[in-house]
Amino acid sequence: MQLEYLLLVGSILILASIAIAKLSDNLGVPSLLLFLGIGMLAGSEGPGGIYFDDAGLAQSIGIIALVFILFAGGLDTSWRHVKAICWRAASLSTLGVSLTAIGIGVFASFVLDLDLITGLLLGAVVSSTDAAAVFAVLRSRNVSVRGHLKPLLELESGSNDPMAVFLTVGLIQLITNPQTTIGSVALLFVFQMGLGAALGMGLGKVMVMILNRLKLWYEGLYPVFSLAFALFIYGATAAVGGSGFLAVYVAGLVAANSEFVQKKSLLRFFDGLAWLSQIAMFLTLGLLVFPSHIVPVAGVGLLLSAFLMFVARPASVFVSLLFTTMNWREKALVAWVGLRGAVPIILATFPLLTGLPDAELIFNVVFFIVLTSALLQGWSIPAAARLLKLDAPFEQKRRYPIEFAPVEGVDTELIDLIIPYHSAAAGRSIVELNLPSDSLIVLISRADNFIVPSGGTLLQEGDTILVLVNKNNLSQVRSILAKQRRPNEP
Amino acid sequence: MRIVDILNEQVVRTNLSGSTKPEIIDAMVELAASQPQVLDKERLREAILEREKIMSTGVGSGFAVPHGKTDAVTDIVAAFAVTAQPIDYQSLDEQPVRLVFLLVGRDNMVGPHIKLLSRISRLMNKEEFRKRLLEATSPQEVLEVFRQEEATHFEV
Repeated sequence: MQLEYLLLVGSILILASIAIAKLSDNLGVPSLLLFLGIGMLAGSEGPGGIYFDDAGLAQSIGIIALVFILFAGGLDTSWRHVKAICWRAASLSTLGVSLTAIGIGVFASFVLDLDLITGLLLGAVVSSTDAAAVFAVLRSRNVSVRGHLKPLLELESGSNDPMAVFLTVGLIQLITNPQTTIGSVALLFVFQMGLGAALGMGLGKVMVMILNRLKLWYEGLYPVFSLAFALFIYGATAAVGGSGFLAVYVAGLVAANSEFVQKKSLLRFFDGLAWLSQIAMFLTLGLLVFPSHIVPVAGVGLLLSAFLMFVARPASVFVSLLFTTMNWREKALVAWVGLRGAVPIILATFPLLTGLPDAELIFNVVFFIVLTSALLQGWSIPAAARLLKLDAPFEQKRRYPIEFAPVEGVDTELIDLIIPYHSAAAGRSIVELNLPSDSLIVLISRADNFIVPSGGTLLQEGDTILVLVNKNNLSQVRSILAKQRRPNEP
Repeated sequence: MRIVDILNEQVVRTNLSGSTKPEIIDAMVELAASQPQVLDKERLREAILEREKIMSTGVGSGFAVPHGKTDAVTDIVAAFAVTAQPIDYQSLDEQPVRLVFLLVGRDNMVGPHIKLLSRISRLMNKEEFRKRLLEATSPQEVLEVFRQEEATHFEV
């Protein structure tokens, strides 16, 4: 294919996906399904007629996309919100994922008449939930779930992908290499995850440190630096045998909860990159699949999908959360928000590339499971949340009259203060206060009015002010406002 | 938004027990936590204490307005109490506090939050009004005093 043709087709597909994403807001269908649909329509069996069966290329695109999605996901997670539930999430994404894989695996080997181990491989492939899918659905309907559930679901879906990847790769090894034992796989697990978490944490800190000391002369280089560093974290961790996916997710988490230069613009950059990654990934996977191969497995696919949604996932959620204080309604909602997404489809290309005999079957069944899970669960999550009385209004990003990002070398924040009664500052103009030079009163709320002050504006007792202040000068501002009038003064 | 719209009998006390600032803040948080807007009591308390660290909300004349912003509430929540005994609140005028108004807003709704803060701190700067609150004997009476005072000074 010629380059200009390739770019033309690729860009049209991406533009169409963005147009469709807008549509999915109204339909309530997860946008990822629509991206997948566009890919299928563009493919060889649709009107697009593009022939694409390169599973290797699809896998590479998928892995790169997943690195960015996980890093962006970590960056968007606030540790303050997740620290209370991190053990529950850990239980869900290790024990829960394994139980789901075993449940589906045993059932699949029975239904599809496969060896137990091949069945388990299928189970492992579909064992993780999809963060992007879950939150896209919640966002599109303008509802959210209550309390700790949102961070729990978020953390679970971000951290269970590495587990599913590990199980899949481990089982393929067991199948292809007879010398492998369960024991050696278990050891490998500890090694991969431990190394992944440790390197993610360490390299995340290093990235923050470098960002803060770099003093790049051109702002546009910050995103370039962090993009390269995210890939470096994945590559370096995987090269020494750790879980690269876990490492990038953990590094994202670490960075999200540190202060660094250009944080706001980097968050926006990675948000966009994560979207591009998702679109590219689903389009590719849509192109890769041949709908005519899916139809014959529809029956068993539906059966397996139903088993996953109504038996395997609920059972593993309830077992993983056995020793928590969560009530059954909360657990039921967690069980229902178990959307499958891109990860299973990417993982389904692993057996294909290894050349396992049943790989084709696994791929098609997995594709069908993802489709039905995303469609049925995706569609019904808002209703399920309402039914279980666990819905909450969707949380919007913090909005201040003024937005600003931490700037290199300036440690400034926007706070609200009340002018105390009998304050010596009341009745004086702002100029007279002699506030420190890098602090600024940006807004006065007086009785029912907002006043944008100038230097001559007089302050009154009981005014609420929004003030932009350097942390180092806070105590000086405080003492200026707190100073009391002498009794003989008016 | 009016002050009387965010207060009700459940969140008003006329004889709040407690002898220290932390005890009073805890008791106020408990009052607020009875309301359905509160998703997470602990994080609400954290937001209050966080703000208190920046500068004491004991604004003087025996009045304190502990407040904060958090996403642990779905909408503005408030509580008001007259304490049973004078409290050392580290107020800016060093006077003990007996009137406490707690106000917690959502992270992303700064406008209504600071508007209410300034409305409350303006009303509370009137000695006669403070006196009537201190003399009130029941939550109903407190609410009535607020209603009258607010109607006199503000149109909506």
